[in-house]
Amino acid sequence: MAFEKILTRYQDVPNYTGTIDEYIAQGGYQALPKALREFQPADLVETVKRSGLRGRGGAGFPCGVKWGFIPKDSPRPKYLVCNCDESEPGTFKDRMLIEEEPHQLIEGIVISSYAIGCHLAFIYCRGEFVSGAQVLERALREAYGRGFLGRNILGSGFELDVHVHRGAGAYICGEETGLLESLEGKRGQPRMKPPFPAISGLYRSPTVVNNVETLSNIPHIVLRGAEWYASIGPPKSAGPRLFSVSGHVERPGNYELPMSITLRELIFDHAGGIPNGRRLKAVIPGGSSAPVLTEQHLDVGMDFESLAAAGSMGGSGGVIVMDDTVCMVRVGEIVSRFYHHESCGQCTQCREGTAWLHKVLRRIEHGQGRKEDLDVLLDMCDNMKGKTICVLSDAAAMPIESYLAHFREEFEIHIRERTCPFEGRGAF
Amino acid sequence: MPTLKIDGVEVTVPAQTTIIEAAERLGIEIPRYCYHPGLSVVGQCRMCQVEVERMPKLAIACNTPVADGMVVSTRSPKVEKARRAVLEFYLLNHPLDCPICDKGGECPLQDYTLAYGPGESRSVEEKIQRVKHKVLGPHIVFDAERCILCTRCVRFCHEIPKTGELGVFSRGDQSEINLFPGKVLDNAYSGNVIDLCPVGALTSRQYRFQSRPWDLVRHTESVCPLCSNGCNVVLDVRHRQRGEELLRIRPRENPAVNRWWMCDEGRFTFTYLHDPARLRVPTWREDGPRGEMAYDDLLLRVARAIRRVVEAHGPEAVGCIASSWQANEELFLVRRFFREILGTPHLDFRVRPVQFQPSDASEDGILRRTDKTANSRGARDLDLRPGPGGLDAAGMITAAAEGRLKALFVFEEDLVRAFPDGPLREALGRLDLLVASSLFPTETTALAHAVLPALGFAEKEGSFTNFQGRIQKIRRALTPHVASRSLPEALRELALNLGRDLGGIEPEQVWAAIGERPGPYQGIAWKDIGDLGLLPEES
Repeated sequence: MAFEKILTRYQDVPNYTGTIDEYIAQGGYQALPKALREFQPADLVETVKRSGLRGRGGAGFPCGVKWGFIPKDSPRPKYLVCNCDESEPGTFKDRMLIEEEPHQLIEGIVISSYAIGCHLAFIYCRGEFVSGAQVLERALREAYGRGFLGRNILGSGFELDVHVHRGAGAYICGEETGLLESLEGKRGQPRMKPPFPAISGLYRSPTVVNNVETLSNIPHIVLRGAEWYASIGPPKSAGPRLFSVSGHVERPGNYELPMSITLRELIFDHAGGIPNGRRLKAVIPGGSSAPVLTEQHLDVGMDFESLAAAGSMGGSGGVIVMDDTVCMVRVGEIVSRFYHHESCGQCTQCREGTAWLHKVLRRIEHGQGRKEDLDVLLDMCDNMKGKTICVLSDAAAMPIESYLAHFREEFEIHIRERTCPFEGRGAF
Repeated sequence: MPTLKIDGVEVTVPAQTTIIEAAERLGIEIPRYCYHPGLSVVGQCRMCQVEVERMPKLAIACNTPVADGMVVSTRSPKVEKARRAVLEFYLLNHPLDCPICDKGGECPLQDYTLAYGPGESRSVEEKIQRVKHKVLGPHIVFDAERCILCTRCVRFCHEIPKTGELGVFSRGDQSEINLFPGKVLDNAYSGNVIDLCPVGALTSRQYRFQSRPWDLVRHTESVCPLCSNGCNVVLDVRHRQRGEELLRIRPRENPAVNRWWMCDEGRFTFTYLHDPARLRVPTWREDGPRGEMAYDDLLLRVARAIRRVVEAHGPEAVGCIASSWQANEELFLVRRFFREILGTPHLDFRVRPVQFQPSDASEDGILRRTDKTANSRGARDLDLRPGPGGLDAAGMITAAAEGRLKALFVFEEDLVRAFPDGPLREALGRLDLLVASSLFPTETTALAHAVLPALGFAEKEGSFTNFQGRIQKIRRALTPHVASRSLPEALRELALNLGRDLGGIEPEQVWAAIGERPGPYQGIAWKDIGDLGLLPEES
């Protein structure tokens, strides 16, 4: 079934470069005047709630509900922060959206700011996204030039300034409160919650933090209606979603699809299946933090609920496909190395646990494993989960638990034979 | 006020109280590392996790406000497992050098590991090596391997002295506490990080390797004498071959005075008590060189000299300059001796500009005050000031220079240094009798006919009154030198030699007398002064 592209429809326009004129030519910046003229801010919040839009950053929290938490009577300024710190391994959709269709995001930011009463918004851009940040800066200048930003936007009296802030290269600054700390110029480490950012966020003021893809959906919801949006995909996972497919597939890349599709359809129909006639071994369906799925899960739907029911999660939409040449112990070593490197270090379990996980997995992969290691690993994971300020600790523990759940034998072979049986055959 | 149950015991506390505080009221100590009541809450160590009914995850007691009907367990199996795990994680990289660590024996990491931790390690990985014994400032040395990153020290420097020398650098298991570039941990309160540190990562350069905690045989509660704030302290004393030695001063919590803190000057200034240069025996000088003399003989001679002066010139020829280094009990007896027994109006204690009201002020908005003596307030409250027609300190010196004053007693003050401009030597040189008490030889004692060794604050029992008017006890931590007598003992003897009775000199007896008199201390007895002192207007 051909799916009408929404966020990535520009891809069908030849030689599209994402300038403001091109964006307008394909219907851009029509939602903004509509929002400003036809909607009260509260109506917009209601509309987004009804659309069923859920956050695309990882947690899948209902966007309109998040907006609704902003106190109406707070005397403090309200902030909108666009989370463009996309760092979840296996995820590369936000980068594409800002580089190729920056005005869709900007239009989404202006409408969202209007909805929550924000007059100063920030795009917190991952440090490595140098060109993406440049594209955004240029696009912001264009938008100011056309009166879509600044004072008295389109004669509505609404004003908004937007700044691009580049991070300095830390995964943890993608966690919304770590991001806010970093944006305030502090060490990027997550804050205790409560209070949540909606009550006390940037500069202790009410703040909404939304992902790039989430905000990019907003103009379409305004333009075509909440009911139209809610009709796309399964009821609880409405709207299109960008899946970043990587690893052992014929056609890696971003695919915009409704979440009603199955893992099988995504890998085999859209991404072209596994190359070289090899067999599918494992799939990480929602970024490296997500527990792994296997062949038996291929008919699971890619919506938040179905993936959760299958023991994994929709996460950031990063789908990492691995064929049967892949050593799951090595995957564990690589994934745990990442979390070891990225833990901010404030909570004990995460600071010490991520490092310990990595060291043990590295030892097993390199033939130095001990029989008792696997139970220690599982207990360690249990001790790391649900006990820290943010979920990085859980994100480090959950995948390892799942590798052990589905591929325990592979770990045991490493320990028994004191070597990696996949040695020399390459990994993912 | 919400009522909740902690480990089956009900407690009612004000709203906004956290679980950790509520538990404290029941005497339940929830283990903690990063939490400290005097610092902001960061919830990082995860040690204080407790189980709260109807909460899906364990809650950190330090940051979870109580709610009505809440049911908290601090010892459930889930809590114990989480706690054991935190300790196991800490010990992955914590060196097992407890036998040579200053903190060993009074270390929360040791204590909680013993109480809640795993018996042995499941880790076979190599421990991370980090910087050892790095000097952070004049008082503090840092061992990064022992650090468990509770960040109390970092928060202390940001929040209390607001100097912010320390930060956390790098991330994950590479995180390390360090100085910001170009900074030295030399703020006036830096020593507090030693107490705050729950492990042996930040240790005192002064106390380092001086003792094991169990060798500190005495922990005497007292008050710092080095300014008018009167920070509550504990004096840690060890027995050594050469005798008792005060090795460490720590702050003692008093919410109304110093909270949990004290300044470095107060903490580290005490070695003078053991200085061999201190005066130990009384000396006498009359027309010849100074010589040691037994107390009884010396006090007889002083009494004789006083009698001569009074008989020839009347009591107005005698003056006394007391000191705000002296305890209330000493001051009261001094006043009684000079004003009542001798009958002279010339009595004062003010030899520093700051002692004239109201110039004593906060030095830094934290603890330190500009009056660098302990008891100016007590001296004022006990009226150690000139009586009708009496001379103040400067007046007495003038009178001495003019030959009107014939005998002068100077307690614990070096007048030569206090009044550097006037012809002080000449003035003191004209006196028929100059009696001085002092801890150390000074230019004033050099001029005195009789010199009495004084006792330091750690060698006597009594009280100081801080600038607020709070009467606080000082207690004897060190046995005075065998040859020394306290000033009350000397004064009592002197009075006896003059045929008079000074009354009881023990603090209880002195306070019985103080309490009888009209004045700020009326009605107060020694036993009324509690561990945290007594503010008369509150009693």
